[in-house]
Amino acid sequence: MIFFKNVNKWFGDLHVLNNINLEVEKGEVVVVCGPSGSGKSTLIRCINRLEPIQEGELIVDDMKVHDKKTNMTQIRAEIGFIFQSFNLYPHMTALGNVTIAPIKVRKFKKEETEKLGRQTLERVGLGGKAGAYPAQLSGGQQQRVAIARGLCMRPKIMLFDEPTSALDPEMINEVLDVMVDLAKEGMTMIVVTHEMGFAREVAKRVVFMDEGKIIEIAPPKEFFTKPKSDRAKLFLSKILTH
Amino acid sequence: MWSFYFSELIHSLPFFFKGLWMTVAVSGLSLIMGTIIGFTWGIMRAGSNKILRSLIGAWVDLIRGTPFLVQVFIVFFILPGIGIELEAFPAAVIALTNLAACFICEIVAGGILAVSSGQREAATASGLSAYQQLRYIILPQAMRTILPPLVGQYVLLVKDSSVVSAIGVVDVTRVGWLTVQRIPEGIMVFGLVGILYFAICYPLINLSNILERRMTVVATRL
Repeated sequence: MIFFKNVNKWFGDLHVLNNINLEVEKGEVVVVCGPSGSGKSTLIRCINRLEPIQEGELIVDDMKVHDKKTNMTQIRAEIGFIFQSFNLYPHMTALGNVTIAPIKVRKFKKEETEKLGRQTLERVGLGGKAGAYPAQLSGGQQQRVAIARGLCMRPKIMLFDEPTSALDPEMINEVLDVMVDLAKEGMTMIVVTHEMGFAREVAKRVVFMDEGKIIEIAPPKEFFTKPKSDRAKLFLSKILTH
Repeated sequence: MWSFYFSELIHSLPFFFKGLWMTVAVSGLSLIMGTIIGFTWGIMRAGSNKILRSLIGAWVDLIRGTPFLVQVFIVFFILPGIGIELEAFPAAVIALTNLAACFICEIVAGGILAVSSGQREAATASGLSAYQQLRYIILPQAMRTILPPLVGQYVLLVKDSSVVSAIGVVDVTRVGWLTVQRIPEGIMVFGLVGILYFAICYPLINLSNILERRMTVVATRL
């Protein structure tokens, strides 16, 4: 579904993605973790070309994302992207937020899309909030609307960029629950997160990154109990001490 | 003497209203065209094309850095030298439209850039085209920042239009000049001119204030 082959990217002198090779299968859930600045957000932002790559091949759903000539609209429609800071449209209701792209990009009919939108909001536990504006919702609710916004496009892939990092602790689980359900339904997901409970429960593999490189790829059980690299050991000791 | 001049002035009122109509026509036309051009420039100025961005930026700086009277003179007296012959009215409208467009361009670009980059990223990620992003996501949010100073700019535009009397457009200022030669009561004549300008500008000032308040309320809700 997603292939990184010898992918390189620089921000000026900074080598943010250093020879990345990664393959994610259909229906697979992959958790990406690593210290801040390790390139994990950049890694998933390249998949829908929010950031262009400079070298290598990146193929998503059989389309060449690395090729500048590729029309990204089609690929982006297949990929839901969830941001750390939600980025809901503040001038639209929850329903408006989830239906705008399906109507304008997918050309779904308005009435059907609104029905789909309400169903999707229902699915993330926000059936009663269709008419609410983002400012009237809590952080956890906003992030669930953002997930519903991604799902309404009927995507093949969902990408999550630290979806719970901006949330108060008591709201983290309501978002993770939605993501766990999604994973169990067979969605292809790449999740940048430090929520190790989530990784243990649904991830097939954990990708550990540091300084733009993939240091280690392992099933979560293996990664958490006996990490191979020293850097992963150090990282885990830091986040798991509490 | 004063009451005689006053009744003379009352008799001249139709002349003043004609001048007022000219002021409204010049500033109204410039307002409409200046808004259209100003939004176009502003959108490009906040856009991704570097050449367009700096070209527009340079032009706006040039216009903002020179007196409007000089700009009007250039359009009316100097353009004919290179073969562009213009009547006073179109010359006035062209100069004023350009001035309005430059100021509106800066207001619009500022409003667009004030929308957080996350909004554009979210819209891009969902596959919306550049036009759709602007139309449905960016501009509706930017309008909250743009509207109050935009209406404020319209007030300045109406007042700046008085400058075009210098090239012979018979607007309400020019009517004042002509009248004061017959009725040498400057305070009375230009008092009337001032009142007529104020009559147009005051509702606009109020509108701007109302918009400012309403947009602030909306912004705090966001």
